[in-house]
Amino acid sequence: MTGIIIQSRRSPIALRAGIAPELEPAFSSETKRLASQVDALFRHQRSPTSLEQELLPGKTISERLFDALASAKVLTASVAMHLDRARRDKLFQQLDSLHDLAEWEEGDEPLQQSSFGTFLKAMLTVHPQRQPGLGLSHAGHLIGAWTIDRDHLTIEFLPNDWVRWVLTRYKDNEPRRFAGQTPVSELTEGLAPHRPEHWFSYEGRQRQESPR
Amino acid sequence: MAEQPYKRPPITEAVIAIGFGAAMEPGDLNRADSSFAKLYPQHQDARNLNLEFIMPDRPNLAPGTKIRHDVPGHRRSSDDQTQIVIVWPTSFVFSQLAPYPGWDDFFGRFVRDWALWKKVVGYRSISRVGVRYINRIDIPITGNLTHYEEFLNIYPRLPEELGSIFAYAIQTQLPFPEIEGRITINSSSIPSPLLEHASFMFDQDLYKENNIPQNDDGLYNLLNQIHVKKNAVFEACITDRARELFNT
Repeated sequence: MTGIIIQSRRSPIALRAGIAPELEPAFSSETKRLASQVDALFRHQRSPTSLEQELLPGKTISERLFDALASAKVLTASVAMHLDRARRDKLFQQLDSLHDLAEWEEGDEPLQQSSFGTFLKAMLTVHPQRQPGLGLSHAGHLIGAWTIDRDHLTIEFLPNDWVRWVLTRYKDNEPRRFAGQTPVSELTEGLAPHRPEHWFSYEGRQRQESPR
Repeated sequence: MAEQPYKRPPITEAVIAIGFGAAMEPGDLNRADSSFAKLYPQHQDARNLNLEFIMPDRPNLAPGTKIRHDVPGHRRSSDDQTQIVIVWPTSFVFSQLAPYPGWDDFFGRFVRDWALWKKVVGYRSISRVGVRYINRIDIPITGNLTHYEEFLNIYPRLPEELGSIFAYAIQTQLPFPEIEGRITINSSSIPSPLLEHASFMFDQDLYKENNIPQNDDGLYNLLNQIHVKKNAVFEACITDRARELFNT
């Protein structure tokens, strides 16, 4: 069996046969034609109804909010087979609310697609029973927050598959604070010492509330 | 045959595209677009740009570009962005993103929208009927190698001596004799949107470009034939281990 080697996060393989411009003069026209045909094969992978937004400076805030929301929903659709309907509907309600034009602060950035991609990867790995409250940073990064009484866990979903998290847990009426910044693939590992089920699962909360 | 054989169908996008022999006038195009406003409230202008890159014959000259066609159209979608129609001057494109509701729902929506489209723009000579299904098969990673051969029956065959690979992409065209049409299959490894998974695309484009039925019954019958073939091709190209993935 051949098998495919799993790529590390930082080294995705781009399939292309194109010839670097500096090498163009070295190849025959026939070779160039073949290379462009192979590249056309890879371009064919684009979806026929794909939504490619134009990054035009003249777009109004309303158009930018629409583009950000539409891109997030299309990205969600790409993993919808791994999400249940109720969870997807709640997520869309939260995103709609975050991008309400009437409430929008001038100067803020709408949701960045790369941040939202990180969020989806995290949620589909952690599968929290309790869904987070969502917010947006000024830079357009999605922020997820879980609160149990005075205990907080906040995760900022950064572009390119990174996360930054901060948590506060009370012990003997004194707060303990921890923070970390890791690739999203190491989020579970990073939170593990802090018993994240406390925030993510209903059982975790019940354990917390039950008398000892 | 069960209409929805899988709990979690791997279809990321299903598309029906009807091509026409002659371009619509801008007025008809706009009326067709407006007629879909209630069903698909989200609107975006769509542009189909064809750029021509002109490579210089000397290395110290910059390449040139020329816009050959700039065709305006309308893209309309449901609020959740999963149901889409695109109205172009020479085609009507109808699409469903995941979650895929099954052929009965998808085809039923097409019949509804096709009737609406025809009511507004009248009869147009159909020159092409195409159905495209894009699937993504997400395989959980259990080690450094993912043996895609255990999940797929379509992949490049390489000599053992070459060992494992980083990525692949293949394209195959085959006849579709039942309708005198063709099938184009694209399959490739792709970056996974999930952690701890390797993902593979399986994309079928089934189409007919001659002797197209021009009446509704003929068109619907053709689409149903394409649907049956699409299922048969897909099932032939995956293994039971892949089927397990769609039902867990």
